[in-house]
Amino acid sequence: MNVQTPTLGIGLFQPIVSKLTRHSSGLVVAMVVLFSAVFLYGAFTAPNFMTLFNLKTVIRDAALVGIMAIGLTFVTLSGNFFLLSMKETAALCIIAFATAMSAGYGFEISFLFSMVIAIAAGVLQGLLIGLGGNPIVVTLGAAGLFFGIGSFWSDNLVVSFRRPHGAEWLGTGSFLGLPNITVAFIVIAIVAELALRYTNFGRQVYLIGANRAAGRATGHENLSMAIKVCTIASVCSAFVAIAFAAQVSSAHVNYFSSSFGSSGDMTILVIATVMVGGNSIMGGYGSTIRSSLGALFISAVDNMMVLHDFNSGPRVLAVGLMIVFSIIVFALINRGRRVQE
Amino acid sequence: MTNPDNNAASTGLFNRSKTWVSNNPDLAFSILLAVCVYGYFALTNDLFATHRTSYAIMERFAVLGLVGLALTLCIVAGEIDLSIGSNAALAAVIVVRFTDSIGAFNALFVALVISTTIGLVQGYFIAYLRVRAIVLTVGTLMLLRGVALFAAEEKTVMLTDFDVTDFIQTKMLGYFSPASLLVIGVFVLVALFMNYTRYGREIYAIGGARKEALAAGINLKRPMIIVFTISGFCAGLGGAIIGLRSGTAQALGLQYLLLAGTVAAFIGGVSILGGKGGVIGAAIGTLAVNFLNTGLVFNVTPAFMVQLYLGILLIVVIMFQTGSRVYDNYQRRRSILATVDGRRDQMLENKKKIQV
Repeated sequence: MNVQTPTLGIGLFQPIVSKLTRHSSGLVVAMVVLFSAVFLYGAFTAPNFMTLFNLKTVIRDAALVGIMAIGLTFVTLSGNFFLLSMKETAALCIIAFATAMSAGYGFEISFLFSMVIAIAAGVLQGLLIGLGGNPIVVTLGAAGLFFGIGSFWSDNLVVSFRRPHGAEWLGTGSFLGLPNITVAFIVIAIVAELALRYTNFGRQVYLIGANRAAGRATGHENLSMAIKVCTIASVCSAFVAIAFAAQVSSAHVNYFSSSFGSSGDMTILVIATVMVGGNSIMGGYGSTIRSSLGALFISAVDNMMVLHDFNSGPRVLAVGLMIVFSIIVFALINRGRRVQE
Repeated sequence: MTNPDNNAASTGLFNRSKTWVSNNPDLAFSILLAVCVYGYFALTNDLFATHRTSYAIMERFAVLGLVGLALTLCIVAGEIDLSIGSNAALAAVIVVRFTDSIGAFNALFVALVISTTIGLVQGYFIAYLRVRAIVLTVGTLMLLRGVALFAAEEKTVMLTDFDVTDFIQTKMLGYFSPASLLVIGVFVLVALFMNYTRYGREIYAIGGARKEALAAGINLKRPMIIVFTISGFCAGLGGAIIGLRSGTAQALGLQYLLLAGTVAAFIGGVSILGGKGGVIGAAIGTLAVNFLNTGLVFNVTPAFMVQLYLGILLIVVIMFQTGSRVYDNYQRRRSILATVDGRRDQMLENKKKIQV
């Protein structure tokens, strides 16, 4: 692991640059240069891309995916790969929130209710993963379960609640000219980064992710860690669900399967964000700031391609290429550095 | 007169089946589960145990069986292929789009070549870059969706000529259609390959004990490439069958295949640690899932409830596997501790004897 400098901005790029110069082949450098050249060309030629208003749009688009990606980063950093149930957890929580709101229980109670469900979902998955279940398979099953419960509960209908309601400030309000969801994204990103760097818990996440055997030898079992990180990821999904419900004043289990991005699958978009940000999927290396920047980058590329009149096919293709590209680059950089299990 | 002989034969059969069950507990469990599900629906619903339903189940088997087989092979090799739904969707789009212009056979050929090549390339990258398959396939999942959207021009593509659709659904030999016969042929071939060729045994070796396989001189790249090539072929064939049968294809469809296929593979007795399970298990697991699916449809259950049941089933199977592994570890640790304690007591006694 690198020694990370405490300054947020410089600490991020310095390890990447030093790694590139130390390990990389010409191929990697060529790929990075080519990719940034295409991006910069697109950015400068797209109409209205480099305006302040568009910058705000990009951040706002990135916010919801970014919050989920920050939650998922904890799971990835702790070496538990990723959760395939992010979107379904959000779907269950959005139904819970909207049902409570439409029954007339105010924002606070609905919020807590939704969070309790998210925590239960996170603990269930974390328990199974921590006991030794494969994260992918466990969360694949959990995804089916949560989606089924959400559909059953809402009868596969749209649950709506009338304006004015207590959640409007979160969904449509703004603070100092920034939408509140964007503000929440920035606050969550900073809090998560500080927690990872300066708290015991954060350092334990890195330890267990980097070397599980060493973690076990020093008394940090993966069981409690898996429960904690899965709960964090679920709570982040629930927060996104609540923010989205507050924005549109309604809920349906398919909101996160169809309304987001161009790919039609929020979970994969979130995983893409974590990967494109440059976190090591095997754990132990990365940070939540990287995920936030990954969200901004994907959102910027998407925005740019929309401004260039691309349809959804090429846009999904571009995001897919970005993921595969980052996987290949990181695999080439890290090759031979770490023994495969 | 013949009674003793008969008795001997029946006890022999009984004993033999008992040893078979104790030798293959996972397969026995999956057969039991399949029979129970079938029996439940056959008893509660008059229409279930009929010829037509069996034909419909075999039709479903054609697609889900291929996906279950592909995932079984991947999990046997200790990896998992998440891009299977996207690969199938891409093949479906290609077949449906090009059937009208170049004929069904050529379109099928093109689609199979493309999906098999995708599998091959994936396997090559996984083996060469030494990344875990889930990492790469989650990327190709999105990439192939993009390619499929591109190929379908973001629309739902449709057949105009339904001759092929009719042909692959004609009844043959009572319960089968050309599609399901083809799939059964694929199953037999893959079973022979996995059980009786060296390359097939290597797949089990790298899944069950990768370090030992490496020490035994197995090239890790070859089995990985073979597994993902077969997986890509199966996904493509499954997608092509769905596309031709329904006459339409969507680039964003077929996402449910991954969950259903994984459930089928796990019921069929694979272990997430790899090296366990087989083609027969995959077939039986798929049949169990199909019985459940079809029976739920007969009882007018909405589609999302099917997903709920599948999710529960998967979690229960995983809980059993994890639980048995945790229990095994616990027992092993206890027995080691007991041995250590025993030795210590022995040594203390010896010490006492010497001192006396």
